[in-house]
Amino acid sequence: MSSPESSTPDAALRDFSVGSVQHAVRRLWAYIHRHPIYYTVWAVLTLSYSAGFLLIPILVGRVISGIGDGLEIAAIQQRCVWVFVVGAGTAALRYFSRVLVFSAAREVEYEMRNDLFAHLQRLPQSFYFRWRTGDIMSRCVNDLNSVRMLLGPGLLSAVQTPVLFLFALGWMFYRDPLLAVLVILPYPTFVLIARYFGSRMYGRNLLVQQGLADMSNQVQEAVSGISVVKSYAMEDEQVRRFGRANDTLFARQISLVYINAGMQSIMMALPATAMFVVLLVGGSHVMAGTLTLGVFFEFTMYVYQLSFPTFMLGWTVTLLQRGAAAMQRIDEVLSVEPSIRDREVDPIESLRGEIEIRDLTFAYPVADVDREPALRDISLFVPAGSSLGVVGTVGSGKTTLASLIPRLFEVPEGKVFLDGIDIARIPLATLRKSIASVPQDSFLFSMTLAENVAYGDPDASREAIEQAARRAQLHKDVDELPERYDTVVGERGVMLSGGQRQRTALARALLLRPEILILDDTLSAVDAATEVAIQQGLSEVFRGRTVVVVASRVNSVRDCDQIIVLDQGRIVEQGRHDDLIARKGLYARLALEEQDAERASGVGEVA
Amino acid sequence: MNPEIHEEEALGKAYDLHLLGRLWAYVQPYWLQVLCTVLLVVPIFALEIAQPFLMRAGMDGVFAEHGTLEHAPSGMSRVVSGLGIDRGLEWLMQPPAGLPALGWLAVLYFVSAVFAALMQYLHMLLMTTTGQNAMRDLRRMAFAKIQQLHMGFFDRYPVGRIVTRTTNDIENVAEMFSAGIVALLTDILKMIGFASVLLLVDERLAFWSFLAVPVLAVAAAIFRFKVRSAFRDVRVRIARINAHIQETVTGMKVVQLFAREDRNLRDFDAMNAGHRDAWNRSIHYDALLFATVEASSQMTIAIILWAGMGIATPGTLYVFIDLMRRFFMPLRDLSAKYSVMQSSMASAERIFQLIDTEPAVRDRPVEQLEAPSDRRGEVEFENVWFAYTPGEWVLRDVSFRVAPGEKVAFVGATGAGKTTIISLLGRLYEVERGTIRVDGVDIRAMAQRDLRQRVVTVLQDVFLFSGSVAENIALGRDDISRADVERAARAVQADRFIERLPDGYDTPIHERATNFSAGQRQLLSFARALAHGADVLVLDEATSSIDSETELLVQEGIRVLMADRTAIAIAHRLSTIQDVDRIYAFDHGQIVESGSHVELLAAGGLYQMLHELQAAGDERATVA
Repeated sequence: MSSPESSTPDAALRDFSVGSVQHAVRRLWAYIHRHPIYYTVWAVLTLSYSAGFLLIPILVGRVISGIGDGLEIAAIQQRCVWVFVVGAGTAALRYFSRVLVFSAAREVEYEMRNDLFAHLQRLPQSFYFRWRTGDIMSRCVNDLNSVRMLLGPGLLSAVQTPVLFLFALGWMFYRDPLLAVLVILPYPTFVLIARYFGSRMYGRNLLVQQGLADMSNQVQEAVSGISVVKSYAMEDEQVRRFGRANDTLFARQISLVYINAGMQSIMMALPATAMFVVLLVGGSHVMAGTLTLGVFFEFTMYVYQLSFPTFMLGWTVTLLQRGAAAMQRIDEVLSVEPSIRDREVDPIESLRGEIEIRDLTFAYPVADVDREPALRDISLFVPAGSSLGVVGTVGSGKTTLASLIPRLFEVPEGKVFLDGIDIARIPLATLRKSIASVPQDSFLFSMTLAENVAYGDPDASREAIEQAARRAQLHKDVDELPERYDTVVGERGVMLSGGQRQRTALARALLLRPEILILDDTLSAVDAATEVAIQQGLSEVFRGRTVVVVASRVNSVRDCDQIIVLDQGRIVEQGRHDDLIARKGLYARLALEEQDAERASGVGEVA
Repeated sequence: MNPEIHEEEALGKAYDLHLLGRLWAYVQPYWLQVLCTVLLVVPIFALEIAQPFLMRAGMDGVFAEHGTLEHAPSGMSRVVSGLGIDRGLEWLMQPPAGLPALGWLAVLYFVSAVFAALMQYLHMLLMTTTGQNAMRDLRRMAFAKIQQLHMGFFDRYPVGRIVTRTTNDIENVAEMFSAGIVALLTDILKMIGFASVLLLVDERLAFWSFLAVPVLAVAAAIFRFKVRSAFRDVRVRIARINAHIQETVTGMKVVQLFAREDRNLRDFDAMNAGHRDAWNRSIHYDALLFATVEASSQMTIAIILWAGMGIATPGTLYVFIDLMRRFFMPLRDLSAKYSVMQSSMASAERIFQLIDTEPAVRDRPVEQLEAPSDRRGEVEFENVWFAYTPGEWVLRDVSFRVAPGEKVAFVGATGAGKTTIISLLGRLYEVERGTIRVDGVDIRAMAQRDLRQRVVTVLQDVFLFSGSVAENIALGRDDISRADVERAARAVQADRFIERLPDGYDTPIHERATNFSAGQRQLLSFARALAHGADVLVLDEATSSIDSETELLVQEGIRVLMADRTAIAIAHRLSTIQDVDRIYAFDHGQIVESGSHVELLAAGGLYQMLHELQAAGDERATVA
């Protein structure tokens, strides 16, 4: 179900259940509806074109009658000139009608792609848990393409062909009612055939699209994990897996080929059947003297004129079916409600940085895994400007807790408060502006290093960028890059080392001057010397800010104003370092184990 | 953004016989189907030709006998009568006793229509099935090839682009079979056929009928010229758009955390609008061509009538109008076919570019391969030099030897070249100079498979595949049983959290492994390495982001893992390298120190300095 603030172009969509074809078609209609001028002018053009197109058989018939009636050469030639002129005129109309409908289709494609992109950016992280990248991409690329084909050639033919048939039937009926009815008779049988094939084609098309998406995913995974594939000599196994997906896709495509070929040959046989009727019935009328040869010729010309549109109709059905299936898949994405968005918000423009969590229990909204809550009964209070350390064992919920503060996942109301205001009542823009976060995985975009650092504030000055880089100890590495700060990094650029990536992600957060800073195990891949240097720089940044430090090691949080220890999603201990050590609980045990580990390696002794 | 980097490479001449020749290699196994497809054109053509002549027989013969028209002489030329074809046709035209002439003509007409449709069905079926078969083979081949490519390739080639090659691009080429090249050939054959028949019927009238053909040829040539650049522009732009979507989806968390949505949408809108505008240019030419064909087709009717008046019977005029219509029919969707051809050719070129990429790392021919005589687990680097980009040395003259069963560690600042050692030892890249030996044999002389079964690497970034936990440990090796998997998991104490999962070892892993924490992923990768067994274990410091409790467990596991084999650890934190036999300190791609922990501390060099920094860091890891 969509609500007015979401990207849904038409509120009427709410009347239909999400995922149905009707719902998808309604959405498509809403897009078409945005371009009334395009489509109105196009309709007028189509009508005039059809009129001109169907005038030609009449004009040709008049030439033949003229010959039969033994008219003067000049008079017949004049009739020939009319054929010539009308032929040229309809072709000109044809040009404009095609340009209009195709441009309109491109316009809708453009809008829909923008809407898809905007919508994807609004969807919460839980969406990206459930949907694979390959699947999303296949909807944005292949399906959008099919929708555009539906609106371009598909719509052109689907609207124009019935108009042509109506006009032709009307005139032929006026000429010879019996013959007209018999000539048209084979065509309605087409509708039955089309329905038969169409229903099958629809399902098979969906299967093919899914097959393609599955295969994309497989390639994506095999390439993303190529270093593992190589290290473990898994190439053959990967090729086997791919082969299975490939064969499945092939079988599905072949099953579609049968339908398509059948449909197309029937479309080609239709005009020939109609011509057979003209020959048999029209011919006997001519022989009986009730029909002139000129009108007989006119009938054959009508069948001609209709044969290309008829032939295209077979293709059109394919386009419509494929387009409808594709639109349904796009509609599925667009109908996912962005659960994290501004609903009823207070007009807050800035935050001081006080964090309060009251009795929060949170489970990831994924149906089949982690059925147990990741966090249970969490309550804590972090005054503005103070620091919170979060430690715990593997899978204890530390990262989950860190991702709930910037509202990456939806939490129930009345659980998480910033400055005493429920997080859901804070405008997202304000919230995200006030919080800077360094996530565990340091994803960088294919932009220059400077643009990556300035990701949260694209207008930042070069000085600000360099200062952030210096604080994150990134500045010294810059000299080694081919174009310093203007080196393109990320997937399509220079590959940075794990530590360099982490430091870039840190610089990205430090560039902003947020009220709340969240560091999620930020320096795991950074070497010892650099880490010390970074930490010295950080203590200056931390002054006056609320800071949340998520760490695997007790050592990283010992100076925090407040430390919580998580175990299986619960806070098991809470306090300052010394208190927690004195309590001799889990924290103390972790600290001891850490010390042991260090002593074993000899580090502790030197210190 | 730097546009050149992900610009699709400028493509050469799209119509390239060379490319067609290469595609043919994939079609060749199905040559029998191809032959049948081509042969089917003959009966289809004959049946199509028959239809207007039957109609003419009606108009000029049967109707005329009843006095509607004067009997017109047959227009069949002397060539046809010389071959006796006309006599055969006349015999066929004779209605069986009891059937009126008109009825018999209609029956013949109907039969020819039905058979034409049947043949057409077979023709299309064969054509498309052949294309799909060939494309399945091509796709399999492309994927297998990608798997063999060296790591340097993947550093440069974005994932999204590889996915496009194996899916969309191959789909595009398949399209060429159903709507492109074969259809185009069939059309050309048929057009030549129609033209020849018209020349046989009446060469003067035929001459007038073809008046519009030169005009069309010129229009098509202009169209081809104009649309090509528009088309290429479109392809470059759509590739950029799709790459942008892909990247944004992958990094969505960062996008949202940094509230970058509006700015992103603005950038995206600009790309999207550019793409739309490029298309609109090609739409103009497409419609122009279509309209020209239509105008020619309709105006030709007028010309035939004008020129045929007085010299041809209505039946002959009919034959001309009918056959000229069939002649123009394929031209109507010429622009569609042309677009398909253009995009298929461009796709084919990109696929072959990928397939032609020579893996920098390749096995020698089987007869030149060497396998070490034993599996003792000895590693030796001798004067190894290496650079990712020519001239920028990452390793300079590195030599060391790890004796069987020995445990060594590499330390050094970030970017000093430690990780490169691992990649070179696994032969993910080829060394520039020098030699690496495993068990006394140059790794370039070993089969890659052999090498990688001897040397197993645990990487910094743990990648998990979709599939279950157990499958991610066994990685498709049949000889690793479920018991082996569980034993390995137990040894690294990963069993604790695995057994807590909803379906234990059968719990599915999601894309990006979002349902596992970093620590859990690392434990899984240890179990994976352990299950696969190896003579040499290479560990790229993976313990750093695990909490202390887990770290102790893991270090215990690693001790078990290292026990019976040679082990090389790349350490970012010095605490990891507790009991190693020897430590090598790296600086700017060179080994500057080596020795045991105690020796190096006493030496007072780089290691000692790193060590002090680390100790100070741990002591003052204040972070607030």
